[in-house]
Amino acid sequence: MKISREFSRSFDELKDIVAFAHEFFEKQDIDPSLRYIVDLCVEELFVNMVSYNTETSSNIRIDMSPHEHGIEVSLTDFDVDRFDPRDVKPVDIDAPLESRMAGGLGLYLVLKMADSIHYEYRNRTSKITFIADRK
Amino acid sequence: MFYIDFGEDSVVVIKGRLDAAQAPTAQMFLDKITGQCVVDLGELEYISSAGLGVLLRTHKRMIADGLGLKLVNVNSHVNDIFTYSGFDKLFDIEPAGGAE
Repeated sequence: MKISREFSRSFDELKDIVAFAHEFFEKQDIDPSLRYIVDLCVEELFVNMVSYNTETSSNIRIDMSPHEHGIEVSLTDFDVDRFDPRDVKPVDIDAPLESRMAGGLGLYLVLKMADSIHYEYRNRTSKITFIADRK
Repeated sequence: MFYIDFGEDSVVVIKGRLDAAQAPTAQMFLDKITGQCVVDLGELEYISSAGLGVLLRTHKRMIADGLGLKLVNVNSHVNDIFTYSGFDKLFDIEPAGGAE
């Protein structure tokens, strides 16, 4: 079963997004060990959309569906420019403290923790899909 | 739920979920602290990159004065995020259950 919900472009929505995801985990009996990964990937992608796609006021849609031994999650942003998170430069996690910056870690963590990431861009609609599966 | 305050012996205690919505509150609290600082993360359930940014900015500010943050009681989920982020190489981290 797939579920969808739209959220306004505010960080205050994060608590409702977490509740939405956890309800889906319980109803669909998704492995709870995947919750941290899903919470983190959804937050990082949502925050990135809110922070950088500032010329739209459309809600962001989140879809969730079971996938084999885990879950598939999509975030869709409407009337925005193309942005493929897979093109982001990797963070140098071995860099010394003085050259480490506070930003840039979010998408790096998504790419590191999700099992796969897919990107679609059509008619100014940007859709990022990731899969988190039990190993 | 999110909580940040001083505990016993001036240790800073952070509990709950440190996400992008709560990061400004945590940053404002930590910005007021000078000198050596120990942060107890024993009841921190979740941290995202926004929370990591708060810790990194605070640590860099304190290191400039020759001190820094020490993170204690770090659970395995949060410790995984620190490792993925390379924070294990930047911070003095003591996992839950005592120093390794």
